[in-house]
Amino acid sequence: MQSSRTTADAGTAVEGFGGAALFTIFAIVAGFAVEWLTAGSGIVIPRWPVNFLFLAAFASGIVAVGLGMRDRPVVAWMGGIPVGLSLIVGLALLSFIGGFLPQDPAPAGSMVARLRLNSIFSSWPFAFVAFLFLGNLGFSLLWKTIPFRPANLQFILFHGGFWIALSCGLLGSSDLQRLVIPLYEGQESGVAYEMPSEQPLRLPYSIYLKDFEILEYVPQFALYDPSTDQVIDEKSRMVPEVRKGARAVWPGIVSATVLDFLPDAVPGKDGNPVLAAEGHKGVPFARIRVELEGQPAVEQWINGGGPGINPQFFPVGNYFIVIAPGQPKAFSSSVLIRGNDGQRRVATLEVNKPVDFQGWKLYQMGYDEKAGRWSTMSLVEAVNDPWLPAVYLGFFMIMGGNLLFFWKGIKKMEAA
Amino acid sequence: MTLVEFPAIAMAAVACWVLGSLLQIPAGRSKPVAVFSWTLFVGGSAVLVWFLVSYWIALERPPLRTLGETRLWYATLIPLVGFLVEYRWGIRWLKYYCIGLATLFLGINLLHPDVFQKALMPALQSVWFVPHVVVYLVAYVLLAASSVAGFHNLWLQYRNKSSKVSESMSHYLALLGFVLLTFGLVFGALWAKEAWGHYWTWDPKETWAFISWLAYLGYLHLVARKTRVTTLQWYLGLAFLVLLVCWFGVNYLPSAQNSVHTYSG
Repeated sequence: MQSSRTTADAGTAVEGFGGAALFTIFAIVAGFAVEWLTAGSGIVIPRWPVNFLFLAAFASGIVAVGLGMRDRPVVAWMGGIPVGLSLIVGLALLSFIGGFLPQDPAPAGSMVARLRLNSIFSSWPFAFVAFLFLGNLGFSLLWKTIPFRPANLQFILFHGGFWIALSCGLLGSSDLQRLVIPLYEGQESGVAYEMPSEQPLRLPYSIYLKDFEILEYVPQFALYDPSTDQVIDEKSRMVPEVRKGARAVWPGIVSATVLDFLPDAVPGKDGNPVLAAEGHKGVPFARIRVELEGQPAVEQWINGGGPGINPQFFPVGNYFIVIAPGQPKAFSSSVLIRGNDGQRRVATLEVNKPVDFQGWKLYQMGYDEKAGRWSTMSLVEAVNDPWLPAVYLGFFMIMGGNLLFFWKGIKKMEAA
Repeated sequence: MTLVEFPAIAMAAVACWVLGSLLQIPAGRSKPVAVFSWTLFVGGSAVLVWFLVSYWIALERPPLRTLGETRLWYATLIPLVGFLVEYRWGIRWLKYYCIGLATLFLGINLLHPDVFQKALMPALQSVWFVPHVVVYLVAYVLLAASSVAGFHNLWLQYRNKSSKVSESMSHYLALLGFVLLTFGLVFGALWAKEAWGHYWTWDPKETWAFISWLAYLGYLHLVARKTRVTTLQWYLGLAFLVLLVCWFGVNYLPSAQNSVHTYSG
């Protein structure tokens, strides 16, 4: 992003893009040729410290060539806007493939697999274009940085931040570890699984799951059509919540009013529900009054069903009035984490609230969805990304440059 | 306030804008008529702001979850861009395009009404939710305005009535839009790290957000190269198509089947 100029200033034709476009096309074609010849094997980024040494050598090369050979036409061209813009288009086109086609396994030997169109972001064409783009960005950044002028600060922050975030994000991806740890209530585990290979790994710590808890939104009642597996829209377009006194109207079909609601109950001896002794073992019961046109009102208990409790519906012609469980509002795991070095930490893992432990971030990832709120299993994701601070440095530099860009834009706009 | 009231609210807003637009014809000759016309313009938007606030309170969560809800924000915000542009640059025509777009989006919501649903999945219960989505929506609004301004500038050029002020305006709208697009992208990455474990996973929505960002990055580099004004206006006009794919279209692409970003509505 160069410092902005008004379009009113602009007036000359686009120049020098032909060669730059050919250069980018050549890089993409060469990348796809490598994929074709290697049956779509893709690029394997080396791990620490080789990736770091490569990045250091690449950055040093940019500095050496950029400073020592700046006057050479080919170097000036490599760091110029036409090449930069062509590579931006190249990145966008390759990203378009990734944004259009599913990035999932494809049949071996198929055109998609051989060209690696199903994993485009780890393909050779993407790597070539990204590498050349980082070179172009690096040269332009270097020439705006040396000699330093305060007026170039916005350019330096934005472009420098993008260079750091992109290079460290791509090269550091090989050191990223994302592991899944299944935990069961009352048990401790120090084993995690790499996905999707399901390869087990021993962690340098273990986690004891004391309790897993799910909070749900209020259950809803719905008119269910089994022939289409859909629910019928209620008159007000609200999803009716099961609360005492709530009324739902399905025009021309039926209306129902909740007379009583027990959020946690079990069937009693006489068939009527009673409050569950243990709060988490019950299911929602509702006594509803159903009014069908031209017929006397009928009252009946219905429930949403659960482990050991059969669900009860109210049949209405080809439909059923049912209780649907509320959607998960929050789920959390109370855990004790113990490091192999003896360090201990009591924590609660929740979505959006990861916990740090010895360089790892632990995330509340999921649970046994079949068991729903009765789940005693919690899925925790352990993430270790040693390159994260560098990527974040890049992000914050981009935001700093962006703020200055905004400020300069406002100033120019006022002057325009 | 719920969606039961939405058709009346939408009709009221559009009626205010249409009446305000009609009164612009005699407004040049009469100051009271001009004031009344602008009262109607602002009143139309105020009705939508009022509905959004009431709907937020009734939902007990930010109305930013479904595509329908984002369209509602869009319809509320985009006329304001047209009004501000007239206030800043004295350009009168942009507000009519903006009102037209707002009416279109309200119409889509009337034809495909949302369901009133309070539930908000745990991953969306984050401090990043509102800033990420609102910043993106404001960016989309500014870039849509720059797109229609681009096409209008081409029309003016075709009629030999080019206006440097109008061309500058489309540029500045794109520039501000790009700034917010960048913030939205970075906010999204920071949020993704906290919610899903990684800041970037090439999810289809992320990929399209990246493509959109690259598209406007390309525009700024073309500006820096002193590209012809006509090319730039065409570019701005068409670039918004990429944003539309990112906003709506991505849900219908083959890649969307495993996206964490597919929304109803």
